[in-house]
Amino acid sequence: MLTAITGHKFLPAKLQVDRVGWGIVRVLGLLATIIFVFLPVVWLALTAFKYARDAYSTSLFFTPTLENFQAIFSPPNSFGPLTINSVLVSAATVAIAIPIAAMAAYAFSRFQFRGKNALLVSVLSVQFIPPVVIVLPFFTVFRDLRLLDTRTALVILNLSFVTPFAIWMIKGFIDSLPGEIEEAAMVDGCNRLQLLRYISLPLIMPGIITSAVFAFIQSWNEFLFALVLTRKEAVTLTVGLMGLNAERGIIWEQMAAAGLIIMVPIFALSLTIRKHFIQGITMGAVK
Amino acid sequence: MRGIYLMRDDRWVSKLLLAPAMLVLAATVVYPFLSALVLSFRDWQLSKSPEPGDFVGLANYQRAFGDPHFINSVVVTIEYTIVSVALSMVIGLGIALLLFRPSLINTVLKAFLIFPFAMSPALKGFSWRFMLHPQYGIINELIGRVYPPAAGFVWLGQPFWAMFWLAITEVWGWAPYIALVFIGALGTLPQDAFDAAKVDGASTIQTFWHVTLPLLSPIIVMMTLLKTIFSVKQFDAVVTLTGGGPGRATETMNYYVYKSGFSFFDMGYASALAYLLVVAMFAFAFFYVRTLLQREV
Repeated sequence: MLTAITGHKFLPAKLQVDRVGWGIVRVLGLLATIIFVFLPVVWLALTAFKYARDAYSTSLFFTPTLENFQAIFSPPNSFGPLTINSVLVSAATVAIAIPIAAMAAYAFSRFQFRGKNALLVSVLSVQFIPPVVIVLPFFTVFRDLRLLDTRTALVILNLSFVTPFAIWMIKGFIDSLPGEIEEAAMVDGCNRLQLLRYISLPLIMPGIITSAVFAFIQSWNEFLFALVLTRKEAVTLTVGLMGLNAERGIIWEQMAAAGLIIMVPIFALSLTIRKHFIQGITMGAVK
Repeated sequence: MRGIYLMRDDRWVSKLLLAPAMLVLAATVVYPFLSALVLSFRDWQLSKSPEPGDFVGLANYQRAFGDPHFINSVVVTIEYTIVSVALSMVIGLGIALLLFRPSLINTVLKAFLIFPFAMSPALKGFSWRFMLHPQYGIINELIGRVYPPAAGFVWLGQPFWAMFWLAITEVWGWAPYIALVFIGALGTLPQDAFDAAKVDGASTIQTFWHVTLPLLSPIIVMMTLLKTIFSVKQFDAVVTLTGGGPGRATETMNYYVYKSGFSFFDMGYASALAYLLVVAMFAFAFFYVRTLLQREV
């Protein structure tokens, strides 16, 4: 057998063994991947619909209930206001950050000006400042301005990481569009404002929408700022999870229900921008 | 190369377009960044005084290097970063190799790979904490079935395992995402290199080591840097999975800065610690940005 394997004419047989072996590895790998990727999500989703007695067992068969959702939306829990806070904070962050980021991205992509590269590197670098550095000084600033525990404070701080990210991402989109269409419009007598309004903006729109979805997801998932700056009025969903405690510890079935409310909209949104996900996070490092 | 077609008197347009974003960044990033630096040279116990105290020079920084809890957080962050980066890269590459060939099941699975990454990190921590519950956690149940002595084990009550599961929680979010990046990259590799390996009679493992891996190395470097940057600033899942415990076994730098600032209200000291974190982050970010810009050109 050993000599058979070393002989060149038996190579196909060796490849045959190779193939069967790797087939088994592949099937086991796929199974492991499926369990690894899906288990946490599926388990959370199942638990959200369990009565307490079923949540504290690992059985797969149970009577489904909406009890947990009723519980988290009624006193003493208040996921209604928390959901409103999360939606308003994320929407306001997107509404402010995306237009100004799109304008800046357009300037970076289509204009030459002094100090452009230095400015671009700065915009890229500020994303690496740990958020805790931002929130330390702002905590006392907001205290003095009486803005602690307000949605305004959260929106202001969310702008610190959403804006640079969106500038860089939209710039990537604009860079990939050929400039010829805009040039032709200029030649045809379009003025600067008409060009932006009727030619450039519609062309860039898909990129703007994609980065708006990204910005929404980032703000929605934000945790540290909301943990530090909110107590009662402006608490968001992610921080609200911390409040599902009772004497016996965390009420897991309610945590799961709240978790479902946090993750389902994000999953839906992430599917809409699936194709751009990779470029987004790596800041265009991987095309 | 771009912008040649624009007229010179349009310069004001670029300034106008840039102004709002630059103002927002100045107010929300540059201002706190510099303000924290100033704070790091002052003594300020927020619980005692609403106003910042005296300038104390480098005292806060000196204190940091003599603070066993801070040293502990540095060690924890390094351990955590190494474990979570290594596991994310290896598992991510493994998933990519499994899924990159086009087939129905692969296409469906690929669509789901972004879910773990898009999930709120705070929720990830809670979700895994529930699965690891000694009495009714699904992971405990599964492990107990395979290896009965481990049934009912309090995973998060033991320093080594708490660190391991904290890393796994993060790997769960990142490995599928890294896999997607690699799948994209694998599709662009030159096919003739693989054909040549086949003609030479290379085995699957030889092909992987001598052809696939070297061709992927630029992406591996980029993703390792990016993942390192995100691991160094890990915070959310620490709060919701382990709370830094047991003891201080999973207390990362970011978490210790948070505690110093908002549990002990020692703002000056927390700012100094935060700046030490900035230095660590920028060391990696520098290489990332440099590699990124080289690829752009």
